[in-house]
Amino acid sequence: MAILDKLKDGVQRELEGLEFVIGWEQGYDPLHASPLFIRTPGDIDRLIWNPLCVHNLASYLPSLKGRRVGILLKGCDSRSVIQLLQEGLIKREEIVIFGIPCRGVVDLSKIKSRIDTSQMRAVSLMDDAVVIEIPQGREEIPLDDVLATKCLSCQYPTPLIYDHLAGEVLPPQRPTEVLYKEVEVIEELDVQDRLAHWERELDRCIRCYACRNACPLCVCQDYCAAESRNPRWLSQRAGVSEKVMWHIMHALHLAGRCTDCGECERACPMDIPIQRIRRKINKEIKELFGYEAGVNPEDTPPLYTFKVEEPTIQEREW
Amino acid sequence: MRIGVFVCHCGTNIDGTVDSHQVAEEAKKFPHVVYATDYLYTCSEPGQQEIQQAVGEHDLDGVVVAACSPRMHENTFRRTIERAGLNRYMFEMANIREHCSWIGEDREANTHKAIELVRMAVAKVANHVHLHPSYFEVNKRVLVIGAGVAGMQAALDCADGGLDVVLVEKKSSIGGRMAQLDKTFPTVDCSICILGPKMVDVGQHEKIKLCTYSEIEDISGYVGNYTVNIRRKATYVDWGKCTGCGLCMEKCPSKKAYDYHNEGIADTTAINISFPQAIPKKATIDPEYCRQFTKGKCGVCAKVCPLGAIDYEMEDEIVAEEVGAIIVATGYGLLNMEELGEYGAGRYPDVITGIQYERFLNASGPTQGHVVRPSDGEEPKRVVFISCAGSRDASLDRPYCSNFCCMYIAKQAILTRDHIPDSEVYVFYMDTRSPSKGYEEFIRRAQEEYGVQYVRGRVSRIYPKGKRMVVRGADTLLGTQVEVETDLVVLATAATCAPEAEELAEKLRISYDEYGFYMESHPKLRPVETNTSGVFLAGACQGPKDIPAAVGQGSAAASKVLSLFSKDQLESDPQIAQVMELRCVGCLKCADTCPFQAIEEKELPDGRVVGHVIETVCQGCGLCTSICPSGAIQLQQCTDNQLIAEVEALCQAWRERSSG
Amino acid sequence: MPGMEGTELRIIGFLCNWCSYGGADTAGVSRFKQPTDLRIIRVPCSGRVDPLLVVKAFMEGADGVLVSGCHPRDCHYSEGNFYARRRLEVLKRFLPFMGIEPGRFEYTWVSASEGARWQKVVTDFTDQVHALGPRRNFGEGNGGGDIR
Repeated sequence: MAILDKLKDGVQRELEGLEFVIGWEQGYDPLHASPLFIRTPGDIDRLIWNPLCVHNLASYLPSLKGRRVGILLKGCDSRSVIQLLQEGLIKREEIVIFGIPCRGVVDLSKIKSRIDTSQMRAVSLMDDAVVIEIPQGREEIPLDDVLATKCLSCQYPTPLIYDHLAGEVLPPQRPTEVLYKEVEVIEELDVQDRLAHWERELDRCIRCYACRNACPLCVCQDYCAAESRNPRWLSQRAGVSEKVMWHIMHALHLAGRCTDCGECERACPMDIPIQRIRRKINKEIKELFGYEAGVNPEDTPPLYTFKVEEPTIQEREW
Repeated sequence: MRIGVFVCHCGTNIDGTVDSHQVAEEAKKFPHVVYATDYLYTCSEPGQQEIQQAVGEHDLDGVVVAACSPRMHENTFRRTIERAGLNRYMFEMANIREHCSWIGEDREANTHKAIELVRMAVAKVANHVHLHPSYFEVNKRVLVIGAGVAGMQAALDCADGGLDVVLVEKKSSIGGRMAQLDKTFPTVDCSICILGPKMVDVGQHEKIKLCTYSEIEDISGYVGNYTVNIRRKATYVDWGKCTGCGLCMEKCPSKKAYDYHNEGIADTTAINISFPQAIPKKATIDPEYCRQFTKGKCGVCAKVCPLGAIDYEMEDEIVAEEVGAIIVATGYGLLNMEELGEYGAGRYPDVITGIQYERFLNASGPTQGHVVRPSDGEEPKRVVFISCAGSRDASLDRPYCSNFCCMYIAKQAILTRDHIPDSEVYVFYMDTRSPSKGYEEFIRRAQEEYGVQYVRGRVSRIYPKGKRMVVRGADTLLGTQVEVETDLVVLATAATCAPEAEELAEKLRISYDEYGFYMESHPKLRPVETNTSGVFLAGACQGPKDIPAAVGQGSAAASKVLSLFSKDQLESDPQIAQVMELRCVGCLKCADTCPFQAIEEKELPDGRVVGHVIETVCQGCGLCTSICPSGAIQLQQCTDNQLIAEVEALCQAWRERSSG
Repeated sequence: MPGMEGTELRIIGFLCNWCSYGGADTAGVSRFKQPTDLRIIRVPCSGRVDPLLVVKAFMEGADGVLVSGCHPRDCHYSEGNFYARRRLEVLKRFLPFMGIEPGRFEYTWVSASEGARWQKVVTDFTDQVHALGPRRNFGEGNGGGDIR
């Protein structure tokens, strides 16, 4: 049975005990999927599963605490759920998880940088390629060329937590080395050039907070410290330093919690490469504390605990 | 807001390197400032009156004083503005003395800096809100840790003042170091003769609960309401039955147990009462030497005890005590002689410590007060004392003075000449320190009346020569090398912190210096307080000191507790964390990380769960404020906005300065 | 000492009340001369120092930021500096990624008795920031090259 059929079958059986199940459906054009809330058996037919199902649906969960819902999760999405469980922000017994072994999802900006999709007529997805029909003809793009960066180093293709798994457990197939490649490119720059880089990139920020709204771990939402008067961390001034301040605030609030799902960057309407800011912190957290967020529900995020002797911190040398 | 700024000259302490008048003039330009002035001594009575007057005249609702450290006078000025009718928390100090005038000589740079520090303080006050303390009940019992002379004095004074006292002592008897001493300087009166009656008073006082052979397991709570778990170590003797008859000691076949009271110059029995005047006078088994424990069979004491008090199965017991204040009087330790390699200490039997010598001199010591050489039991005809053995020695990382050695060496020298009239006594010293009443005269007496030979110089080496020891050193007054052949060498080993002083400090949450001595709240003005409210210090745990000083501190600490307990309710500091329930998303990261478990879950009527601060438990560290991502929990008087205001005001000042 | 030559840079220190602020007081009482650049903000505990305060100071134009607390194990609040150590270490490793030179932010431990150590910390840190010079903040002047 194909993955989608298994998913539909599972949802069919569980739906009765749940308020709804969150999945994906076809979006407003052939390249976009949209989140789908399945409330009745009639909705199940709209469910889809393909490499365009990019949304991390876990972002909905914190606001649904106290309600019984089902959710479809890819491997990476499952880490967000584990992280939320770790922090007590959701309850395991309230959620039914339909796990999906995933070979990767598409980064639409990578497609758009290759071809003009404004006139596209149809999209078909093959095992290893995306085929897009445009007025000029038929474009076949190898899937690996347009997969999200996170997928190219994916170590968790199978969800780490689930009630039903639609398919067989998929072992990790991607190399780990490439995970921090984008980070290293910046690290290799002269420090002044790094500042210039971020100045240029972040100056585009319009402070729409889409990155925050898409983030499954930004649980403060309406009470985000970036928009409050007390505390008043940010002014309404439009300068780039305020924008940088916001992005550092977001990254630091995620330090030791970010599961690298990439929703922030995907949601950014200005195509600012902000995921690498979080990845840099993830890299340091991994090096300092040997810790990866969202892997084990029993862990404590490293910044909410300590060791009396920290073997990896040599702060006394200064 | 209407803020007044008062800039202190502190005589020339500030005004010498800061233009205080200009600081006040510049302050007038800051937002919210409606009045600014400078004054010679703002903390003086007229200075404080000027503040009070200005509050009324200018209708101030916030005050900034630019003067010394807030650690010095914050409370002084808070009271001042309170007298003027303001909420006492509408106040901030700019530290333009310790952090400015005293550390730089460039008047212009200092003045600029002072102006900026004032500007930051003004910005912070502009974000202040009225805070009001709440009140909580006090448990008027006091715990005294350590029953040496300082702890005993503290316990007696508290008990005489009507308080219930729990007195915990690590050893089996109270008395401490003073119980080991023979005579005391400068009066040369018998130590146990003046200490003994005090020990009896402690033992019999109906308000004092004695817990000897006990240690502090852990401490929780806060001023007024501490819970202390006390580990009552197994003595293997039922003290309820033991009468201290001593029959067990007579019959005990294990006679090679280490004698702590005699500092190892003699042995004792595995079951013993540490000294004749011990209080409580009860036997204790040392399982390290007792054959019942080492070999699994013996049982002699159990057979001979007429009251059946022996209990080999006894286990440590944890007893909880609730108290409102704690006096720490854990005393000092002595440097391990073996660290003094050049003196051959520990290798040569005839090189001993001052406290060991004290036991030889003591009439109730193992030699009944007869001074003998440990190597052959003969009476020494020449004794050399070496002062500063490990003290004032940077090479041993112990640069401090041990305080009482100069005096006890003089005493022991005098006593040596008394005990052995035909003896010769030498003292090698670096300096003699004798600043208290009658002390200098005492040292003079040793030199002039008793003919003790004082040699100013450091000893470089001690080595054996036949049956005697040779002390080689420099006489820095004569500028020559000296060698003295002697029968016995006595080292005034450095006083150290008590063993495990640091572990206890952690349990008490009090600070200690790099040598393990406990830190007083202020070196001059708060000598027995600690920075932890409700915990006081007495005696040598705070630093080496002699008996009169230790007793004085014991009484001082007791009076602090008595005055603390003179109120039925204590004020709780309102500078604690507060949850803005609307903003709280209930992640409870604050509760998970709070070092004091001061935050609990609270369910609101609408079912939302939020954090809730338990007022009396919160200590005001602000860890929660920096952990909360939404900023929903704010430490009052140190909120995000207040700190941000300080940063912004400073950076604004910098920008203005660089743009001219 | 650079600050005394009239070329002060903008340095902010966040000091815990119980140890480091006391240490700075001790240095003052002992008249240990220090560069004048540093402005101190008193907080109860190094654990109170939200890394964002450090970032805020830089965004507002600081050239250097120093955090100092009680030595590990000596925290007046027993654990605050342990949390601070982890957070500030992450921050220290992260700031250079955003273009804030290593050396502009440091954190350390100074006890209330360590007046001489405080003098050394201030002097060394001020020298270190002076070696880097005034900082170009985001949005100030021309930044030069980039990866593109």
